[in-house]
Amino acid sequence: MNKQPEFRDVLPPDEVLLEPSGQFGNDLRNFRAAVHRAAERQTSQPVPFGWLNAAKRRRRDAQRRLVLAWTCAALLCAGALPLLHHSKTAGAPSHLMSHNMQPGTDDTALLEQVDTAVSESVPSSLAPLAELDNWDATTSTNNKMPLNKPEKKHVSQ
Amino acid sequence: MGHMVSTELPPLARAESVLELADFDEVVRLYRPRIFRFLMGSLGDRDLAESLTQDCFLKAYTARHQFRGDSSLATWLTRIALNLVRDHLRNRRMRFWQKTRDTALDIVDVGEWIPDGARSPEEVCLQQERVREIWRSVEKLSRQQRTVFLLRFVEEMELSEIAETTGMNTSTVKSHLYRALRIVRERALGKSEGEL
Repeated sequence: MNKQPEFRDVLPPDEVLLEPSGQFGNDLRNFRAAVHRAAERQTSQPVPFGWLNAAKRRRRDAQRRLVLAWTCAALLCAGALPLLHHSKTAGAPSHLMSHNMQPGTDDTALLEQVDTAVSESVPSSLAPLAELDNWDATTSTNNKMPLNKPEKKHVSQ
Repeated sequence: MGHMVSTELPPLARAESVLELADFDEVVRLYRPRIFRFLMGSLGDRDLAESLTQDCFLKAYTARHQFRGDSSLATWLTRIALNLVRDHLRNRRMRFWQKTRDTALDIVDVGEWIPDGARSPEEVCLQQERVREIWRSVEKLSRQQRTVFLLRFVEEMELSEIAETTGMNTSTVKSHLYRALRIVRERALGKSEGEL
């Protein structure tokens, strides 16, 4: 049943708290007098003209710093926006492709499209090259690769 | 020689206090020592205290229309000074790489005060040393404890005035004051709290 006393319960009475007695009270009074004396040395002279000018200057400087900081932040944001926009637009097609591509059906359609493109007949203006390709294929040996083979192969396709 | 500046500034009546702000030079003349003293005690730096005293009066001047006279002018100005101290300490924490105490008040400076009624040079030295010890221990208090301690034992404010100035309730002020006293007593004088 012994209830632990709360912190406020053990506080001394106001008189003791506000005015400690004995040697300690005396020391506190001396401390007060010493602080008053130290401050008095500074403030005993009359307030000089324009005493608040320094404070005004400090306030103005602080305001300028604040404006400068906000301006820098705004410029940084303005500079970062195009980059952000660019990265978004660059990332969009791949995202769309990966999202839209259906495995199977889309691959088949793409392959058919490629087949159609490569199986087109050779235009008449390129016919001599096609003939040359046929001729080259019949006359060349197996070990010897023609120098212009890739281009011809491409043309024949 | 141990001369004390009067801090017994009578609380101004509502009409008076608002009226007084019109004559701002007079307000500065009356309250500058008090505000400077509080700031010097809070920061332990004479030059900084002077700068913040200027800031305090400039702030008071620009915000004078906000003063309704609900509290005394001294309380209002001390509250502004208290906010400036808080802002300054917060900024100093953020700019920890800067040495901000170049002009810190020398402890010897405070101890140079010569007490009245000292009977012998030894007694004077002893009292000066005790004052220095109290000053050192006050510097080690937390911000709130130091504020409450200074407002009570340097500015001689009542508990209700301290509560009004700091925005704490009276019981919180008492708790801070009790803890501050205990710490100062233990650190500075090495005495037990039982004697309080």
